[in-house]
Amino acid sequence: MTDELLDVDDVHQSYGEEKVLEGISFEMDSQDVKVLVGPSGSGKSTMLRCINRLTDIDDGDIRLDGESIYAMDENDLRRQVGMVFQDFNLFAHLSALENVTLGLKRVRGMGEKAAVEKAAWQLEAVGLREQANSYPAELSGGQQQRVGIARALAMDPKLMLFDEPTSALDPELIGEVLEVMRELAEEGMTMLVVTHEMGFARQAATDVLFLEDGKLVEQGPPNQLFENPERDRTRDFLGRLTSLHGSQ
Amino acid sequence: MDLTPLTSQPLGDWEFVWRQRQFFVEGTRIAVELTFYSILLGFILGLPAGVVEAYGGKYSRGVVRPVGVAIRGTPILVIIAITYFAFGVSPAFLAATLALGVRSAAYQSQIFRGAIESVEGGQMEAARAVGLSKVGAIRHVILPQALRRSVPGFQNEFTIVLKDTSIAYAIGVTELLKRSYDLFSLQTSAALEVFLAASLIYFVLTFSVNRGIEALNDRVAIPGGNY
Repeated sequence: MTDELLDVDDVHQSYGEEKVLEGISFEMDSQDVKVLVGPSGSGKSTMLRCINRLTDIDDGDIRLDGESIYAMDENDLRRQVGMVFQDFNLFAHLSALENVTLGLKRVRGMGEKAAVEKAAWQLEAVGLREQANSYPAELSGGQQQRVGIARALAMDPKLMLFDEPTSALDPELIGEVLEVMRELAEEGMTMLVVTHEMGFARQAATDVLFLEDGKLVEQGPPNQLFENPERDRTRDFLGRLTSLHGSQ
Repeated sequence: MDLTPLTSQPLGDWEFVWRQRQFFVEGTRIAVELTFYSILLGFILGLPAGVVEAYGGKYSRGVVRPVGVAIRGTPILVIIAITYFAFGVSPAFLAATLALGVRSAAYQSQIFRGAIESVEGGQMEAARAVGLSKVGAIRHVILPQALRRSVPGFQNEFTIVLKDTSIAYAIGVTELLKRSYDLFSLQTSAALEVFLAASLIYFVLTFSVNRGIEALNDRVAIPGGNY
């Protein structure tokens, strides 16, 4: 048993013949904000998806609060782990408010009134009080992603997973989403974030994890990784990302 | 309905049709009822069949799919004859409803399967990620979107079922076509007028239903969206 909130222990994963993750291990304490970076195809998104069991692993274990997630009911696990998607994936037929209340009502069993109250509060927290009754197709990408964050947060998760939350956004809309994520980090939410936004990593991350070819090749506090990486490859990659995505 | 007085005096053919309007109205009522109950039965059986085809396991799909293929591959007249003569379902109206309903289910299942498969995969993922079960996700996230997308498919389905109610004629259901045939036997010179009147009724029905479905489609559209 460990006291970490999340313990990723020698995780292997493959799609058929193709090995995606080859022995990934890391831990997260409560209130940690870890940023996963790495070239495309390095397994970052797959790693996230394993943590809420949207993807199954071949070998190893993942523990949440000391308990193997494979010993848990998967819906129970997902109630505790929020996920924000690259393409938002808002429920297209529901208003912003209903997107947030669906899980509260159908998963947490809250009554209509309590669910609406909580959802309204959650939308206000991401700056979308006015848009509560708008439908996803009526919202900008940045607004949609903030609804996506509110939807996940409303479940009161122990851990939030962000899978490239700003990659599908127009540049001018990235800031509003990162702002919400920064506030969340300051409030002490435990977050695991796949992103290319190096500005966010520098400001908000407790650690940056560098993945390459399914292996965790280097990790450390952002300053260390940005200023003094052990490997040249890490320096090259982070340097290029910073020049591309470091402005926010 | 007593037809004898009408045959005793020669009438103009359109006048003959007009005088028999009540006879047509009754046939129309039966055609509409047949259509309504068949579509309803088709929905009750076709929706779960469509869900199974889209999300079912190897075995449930292995049953539902071949049954659908077999039904869609059988002429409606054969299905009606089997229901009425081989299975002995009676009265004829019930046999016709069952036959048309089961056949409609086989087609509706494809409308629903297609609509379900057109809902983006991310919707299911997001629903599961919130903690909904697969069934919960289908019910609260996938079907509300898929049903909206299946509405246009019902324009065809209604049109086909309504027109095919005329085949109930083969087992003696006194729907619109059977009645037209009876009238034509009474006054053979009125063949064109009688069958034109029947087609006009079918046309008005299909046209109105199609307009109704279009209105329904607008009504259930998601604000700001394409569906």
